[in-house]
Amino acid sequence: MSKTFVIIGNSAAGLSCIEAIRETDRDSKIINISQEAHPPYSRCLLSYYLAGAIDKERLLVRSKDYYKNFNVEPLLKTEVASIDEKNKTLKVSGGRRINFDYLLFGAGGSPKRIDLKGIDKKGIFYLRTLDDADGILAMLKDVKEVAVLGGGLIGLRAAYSLSRQGKKVHVIVKSSHVFSQILDSESADMIRQQLVQNGIQIRTGLAAVEILGKERCEGVLLDDGSKLECQLIIIGKGVSANIDLLKDKVKINEGIIVDDYLRTSQDAIYAAGDVAEGYDVLEGKPSVNAIWPAAVRQGKIAGFNISGKKTIYEGSCRMNSVDFFGIACISFGIVRPQGSEFEELIHGNLSKNIYRKIVLKNNRVVGGILVTDVEKHGVYMHLALQKIDISDIKDILVDEYFDFGKVIPLIKRQRDSFLRPEYQDTCSTYTPPFLFNINS
Amino acid sequence: METKKIFCDITKCVGCRACELACAIEHSATKDLFLAILESPRPKKRINTQFIEKDVFHSVACQHCDDPPCVEACMASCIHKDKETGKVDIDSKRCVACWMCIMACPFAAISRKAAAESKALKCDLCPERECPACVDSCPTRALYFEARKDWAKRKENKQLVNK
Repeated sequence: MSKTFVIIGNSAAGLSCIEAIRETDRDSKIINISQEAHPPYSRCLLSYYLAGAIDKERLLVRSKDYYKNFNVEPLLKTEVASIDEKNKTLKVSGGRRINFDYLLFGAGGSPKRIDLKGIDKKGIFYLRTLDDADGILAMLKDVKEVAVLGGGLIGLRAAYSLSRQGKKVHVIVKSSHVFSQILDSESADMIRQQLVQNGIQIRTGLAAVEILGKERCEGVLLDDGSKLECQLIIIGKGVSANIDLLKDKVKINEGIIVDDYLRTSQDAIYAAGDVAEGYDVLEGKPSVNAIWPAAVRQGKIAGFNISGKKTIYEGSCRMNSVDFFGIACISFGIVRPQGSEFEELIHGNLSKNIYRKIVLKNNRVVGGILVTDVEKHGVYMHLALQKIDISDIKDILVDEYFDFGKVIPLIKRQRDSFLRPEYQDTCSTYTPPFLFNINS
Repeated sequence: METKKIFCDITKCVGCRACELACAIEHSATKDLFLAILESPRPKKRINTQFIEKDVFHSVACQHCDDPPCVEACMASCIHKDKETGKVDIDSKRCVACWMCIMACPFAAISRKAAAESKALKCDLCPERECPACVDSCPTRALYFEARKDWAKRKENKQLVNK
């Protein structure tokens, strides 16, 4: 029997959910609701768009005929007014009532707002939507100096983009290091140095207290009493999950709590992406991992489940990749371990901007940071996600010469832990020494 | 149709890196070793010859995975797995060099091309050739271009030195 699926959100989670449903089900009705007017685009590319590195067309991650090809009814520029989880129906702006068999809630996140004196002046932006980016670009010609509040991914990516647009950028960071959430202090300092050498001012341990100016922003007053002139302010203080619509209707912690099938505490409602608090394999507990790859994975698995193909979500981990002025840095999992159960393996070469750190717990990888020499990142991360015992290769793990080849003996010895069939493809002709000693 | 990709018989690989060289030449503008060396930027290989243990080598390139993590990770949605051939391809024109694919690849099979316009690079199975250059170039015939089931059959029939 034909069903109705309603999908709220048309970013990573929503799109992959649609595509997963359509893998097996061509006929059921799918309605895709988004409060934005634009066709599906990638939020993560906005900083590239802001830098002028790509045009608007390249933001669009699906073809023009996407909705037609996938037989989906789009409801763009539409707000969901209320969700009635008991009667499986929801109301959208304009008053239309939609019944659903299953609902995927992929409403994403919103930038955390800050309360500052003068925050309502012109020239103050968050960078979350295409409209935000267009707003910034529209006023850019009158801007010489920019202040960015926040030293995380959003803040520094925006700073990098505007610096590439030829603006003088000042970044104000409350904590003592940039990227305090995703890097340790050593690697953060390498990135900071790279940004500073390329003309971006970074001031740590400071906070803005007031935005100066008449109607338009003309500067920022900082808590050490100094003033900073700027005509544009970008606020990047993190993102919080858009959970208001489901408040008191499903179980919520930091995000919406989901089970192994991405189902919320209501059977007909699934959640994926930046709103969902899914299992984090390396933290060993549920966590909101507001990253593109996790959203795609979750949307896909939720899509399989609501279209009747039972699939377990194996969990994700936190991971991020940045590239500033040609220096790449990727990190995953636990990067600032607290406690004696953790062990850190570090190799660094400051003159070459190389840094490799792997965090271990009980001889299992649980996190890592790579600067410049990033190609091996996935090898480490999948060792971590599959909880492989790395005792055999511990002494060479952060070595310059470590590569996937050194993992081959482990695949043979811990066969059941390496789940992807491709692992077996790579090592099927390999015989480890002393094989008679080892279960394989 | 099952995905055809490059398999390496580890018992035959001697680590000579002929595959790497052939790969770089095939992906150069001139397709000639001596001219390719002069190209700027220099062509890059997309297959890696690696040392497993003493005197044991293998070559590994993109596995064109059944469930490719790079496709899910790509925030520009420019990596796709072809439904017909199973081949995983990067649409270079849309690549923004965010390295999310590198972040996700379990085989470290994707590398960075750092140039005026940086791009992610990986094995494309040589679209202009019937058989990828690395396989054709291997002096010990350690590399095979085939589907997993044919590779398994070959193993069963003991056409590979080792089971």
